[in-house]
Amino acid sequence: MASSDTLAYLRSRYLPDHLIGELLSKRWIDNAIPFSALLLTIVVLGSIIPDFLSLSSLSDLARQFAEFGLVVLALTVVMISGGIDLSVASVFSLAVLFSLIGVNVYELPVPVVLAGILVMGMGCGAINGVLVGYLRLRAFLTTLVSLIIFRSIYEIVFVKMSTSMMVGFSMSDLWLFIGEGTVLGVPTSLVITLVIALAWHLVLSRMRPGWRLTAVGGARRSAFNAGIDVRFMVFLTYVVSSTMCALAGFLFAARLGSTGSDTGVGLEVQALTAAVLGGTAIGGGRGSVAKAIIGSLLVLMLTNGLINLGISGPITSTILGAILLFAVFVDMRWQKHRHRILAKVYVSPAYLSLPPAPKVDAPGSPYVLNDRLRSVEIIGLGEIEGPEDVILDRDDNLYCGTRHGDIVRFFGPDHKRSEVFAHIGGHPLGMAFDRTGNLLVCIGGMGLFQVAPDKTVTKLTDETNRSWTSVVDDSRLRLADDVDVAPDGRVYFSEATIRYEQEDWATDALESRASGRMICYDPRTGKTHTEIPKLVFANGVTMCPDGQSFMFAESWTCSISRYWFDGPKKGTTERVISSLPGYPDNINRASDGNYWLALLGMRGPALDLAMRMPGFRKRMARRVAPDQWLYPNINTGCVVKFNEKGEILDNLWDLGGRNHPMITSMREHRGWLYLGGVSNNRIGRYRLPDADPDWCGQDAYWGPRP
Amino acid sequence: MIGAIKRAWANFRGFDLTGSTVPPMDGPLRPNAKLDAAPLLLELADVDNLVLRGQQILCSVGQEIHTLAPEIGNSGEALSITGTHSVGKPVTSMAAAGDLLAVAVEGEGIRIERPGGASTELIRPEGLNVECITAMAFADPSTLLIAVGSARNPAHRWKHDLMTKTEAGSVWRVDVGARSAVSIASGLAFPSGIIVSKDRLFVSEAWRHRVVSMGLDGSFQQIALGSLPAYPGRIAPAAEGGFWLAMFAPRNPLVEFVLKEDEYRSRMIETIDPEYWIAPSLVTGRSFLEPIQGGARKKLNMLKPWSPTWSAGLVVRCDGSMSMLRNYQSRADGDVHGVTSMCEADGRLLVGAKGSGKIVAIDELAGHAAR
Repeated sequence: MASSDTLAYLRSRYLPDHLIGELLSKRWIDNAIPFSALLLTIVVLGSIIPDFLSLSSLSDLARQFAEFGLVVLALTVVMISGGIDLSVASVFSLAVLFSLIGVNVYELPVPVVLAGILVMGMGCGAINGVLVGYLRLRAFLTTLVSLIIFRSIYEIVFVKMSTSMMVGFSMSDLWLFIGEGTVLGVPTSLVITLVIALAWHLVLSRMRPGWRLTAVGGARRSAFNAGIDVRFMVFLTYVVSSTMCALAGFLFAARLGSTGSDTGVGLEVQALTAAVLGGTAIGGGRGSVAKAIIGSLLVLMLTNGLINLGISGPITSTILGAILLFAVFVDMRWQKHRHRILAKVYVSPAYLSLPPAPKVDAPGSPYVLNDRLRSVEIIGLGEIEGPEDVILDRDDNLYCGTRHGDIVRFFGPDHKRSEVFAHIGGHPLGMAFDRTGNLLVCIGGMGLFQVAPDKTVTKLTDETNRSWTSVVDDSRLRLADDVDVAPDGRVYFSEATIRYEQEDWATDALESRASGRMICYDPRTGKTHTEIPKLVFANGVTMCPDGQSFMFAESWTCSISRYWFDGPKKGTTERVISSLPGYPDNINRASDGNYWLALLGMRGPALDLAMRMPGFRKRMARRVAPDQWLYPNINTGCVVKFNEKGEILDNLWDLGGRNHPMITSMREHRGWLYLGGVSNNRIGRYRLPDADPDWCGQDAYWGPRP
Repeated sequence: MIGAIKRAWANFRGFDLTGSTVPPMDGPLRPNAKLDAAPLLLELADVDNLVLRGQQILCSVGQEIHTLAPEIGNSGEALSITGTHSVGKPVTSMAAAGDLLAVAVEGEGIRIERPGGASTELIRPEGLNVECITAMAFADPSTLLIAVGSARNPAHRWKHDLMTKTEAGSVWRVDVGARSAVSIASGLAFPSGIIVSKDRLFVSEAWRHRVVSMGLDGSFQQIALGSLPAYPGRIAPAAEGGFWLAMFAPRNPLVEFVLKEDEYRSRMIETIDPEYWIAPSLVTGRSFLEPIQGGARKKLNMLKPWSPTWSAGLVVRCDGSMSMLRNYQSRADGDVHGVTSMCEADGRLLVGAKGSGKIVAIDELAGHAAR
């Protein structure tokens, strides 16, 4: 190995740079920037301000956060739905005022005051909600006006009642408990806020109303078209928002027991800064409780820190304003460029050194170039698109998948007529019959499905166990590829890659990373588990006649292996063929006890060299348009026959790919070989001169018709 | 230092500082399939150097020179070989002036064949590299202008010349009588076509994707046609005025990328047969060992005409100042690839596609200059 190769190998082996792309494709990555800003703030302020992280200041911060966090959360909910609520601050101050009047002046019971305050909040919100939601006024102007009106009410009432408020004093224990008490050492108000935040988190991320809210903010018209009552949802957000602000005001009143002429002034700007800093989109459709919490903590710590440093109020506000501006800028750039960055860094090629390709035209080579597949009989030309796999039943009917999401059945014996046997929706790939004649189908992007002879479609499985170390969620099946059934009914199927969707399978070739696997579905328990992890584009699979093992292909390593799932060699894998001249796809049984193997494309020296230079491929993926990328040569296909020892016994070619440029599957049936190709528009039928004219795969697996 | 920072920034942002962005085939180069539709006159593998000597059509295949004539009784639709003679070594280029013929023979020199087989002399002027004479043109019967593609690679190793980014080409003026040669331009990146028009000289500079013009002594060099999406090759005169320009291979973004990837390129050159390189080619699809690109994968058994390809056929009609007027193409799915030579004869343009081994005819000779 050349020294540069060693370096490339070590780098691709130990530097997990594919994780960058996987992390970037996570939804929560939006929070990474605000979260690191928060950590930075804590570290910086903690080191320059003594006592910043002391218990007393933390407890103070916790109580402030309880109120401020609620307001930010309220604003976030409105912003997610695509609106904005500037009146949060004046509703907050009204709530403070009326709580104090209720408790201190009229000495009403605390629960009654709380209920009244919440009703008042709902009322304020309802005004906004009707105006914005039903009368379709501009949210910004409407809430600006209600901000002024509510504030004016506050000013009027405050002047009249300020003296009596100061004189009055509540002896209620509940009032004290809310204001100064703790639950298990945690301030009561914080507990209330955290419970509300948790509830909102569940609603927004797990429940239907939350998803509808996000839908309304993300695409109002689409949400309407999808049947969501957009006006009512918008109305509701303002009601909820004002109610939460009212609660925040109530908590504030309980904590301080007094109010001033400046209570709540500028709170809306602070809350808006917090929401935007946290990563909530101003345009709607994006936001979460975590973002609201991060944002409000950031703003609170900054304000407290600045006050601690002796910076005056107006300057603090200026600084906050500048931060708001900066956050809006970063948010805009991030949204604009995130997908571009992701597209550039996601492809992360690995080092792959293939053994030298066998010279197919050398004398003595088991491979003999020929054009035997050029003159095949054609079935279904133009009627089907993308028959990745073909299979025949005992009655000579031919089944194949199409990229339109159908399984098409051609009636035997002449295969001139056809019908849509089942419509599942995803592109059907590998197929197999089980003992009772059900057709099992792997469907790209969907999972493993079963079609009964009476055409009923059942989903068998679409998830497997989640592995702990994978960043990409590998529990969902992304590209189930080929399937076969063990004698006891267990279903073994391959998943080609967990990193790409079916349409991008060739990009996985460019990457050649071990991101495929073999999966087992047990119909007796209904459970699915990953049998062999970390395979390089796991593809064809077929049971060996011993009933204890199967052959499987790994496309990009050009190899065939055998795995024992039962018997004395249980759990072991053996390489059967380590160097094919092309990329193996499906494997199926031949009538003489050997195996047919489809090569979907051929290896070329230019790509083989690139496989040893992951940096070259990575730069290619970034610099060159995907249509111009170097790919496996799939314009020439071939079918080879091999035995259990891995010896090549026969081969059939269509050089130049006249009829079958890319052969992904072949199936022997009563003396004929049927050919399928995932991007072809026909099925080929080749007469096998020496094959058993009565051999049928379904009988060979499950015995003659019961 | 500033250059390094600029390069690093350009690398980060993906700018192109080196002119390696392939321009689109548009305007006068708008794609068509006219070369595929053109009548096929003769299938002849490796046909090159079509020239008209007097009334005789000549072409070369390897070390042999064939005389071609319309097939008797075939109303002139097809050509056939009526005579062949060998010059012993591969012919790299030919030029004719009236009945006078110059043949560049790789490693030997230039054979001057006088009318009627009166005399044949081999000249090898001092200083002139005769391994890689890619094109020749007579200014007058005693003055021959010669394009030497590269001082480092013989003509048949043109892929090496490109992939090693060699810029060792030159243009020479040979006095046939005195057997002396003067270099009039050097440091060119594979000059591959040459023609004299009045007192100006046009030279295709393949690896810089342009045609330059200069005086007959090499003075006043100008870019006559630049930023081409393909590698320009030989230039033939048009009777109506103006020129025919053959472009022997298309540029390809992946090739441009590989040209920047020094390590991959050197390992490719060292270990891989040139036929299977990521490099322009005269013909593709002959072997499954050739690399292919994403867009060239067959879908529903179709190769899209606009697929990225290593080879294509491209003949461009240019006016007297070498501005492009219109073009004749054979695209990725076509089969008239690698056009290296052309000549007008019998009222039509014969197009020699060396890659596909075909001679086809373009009948529209008139009306280009007027447009």
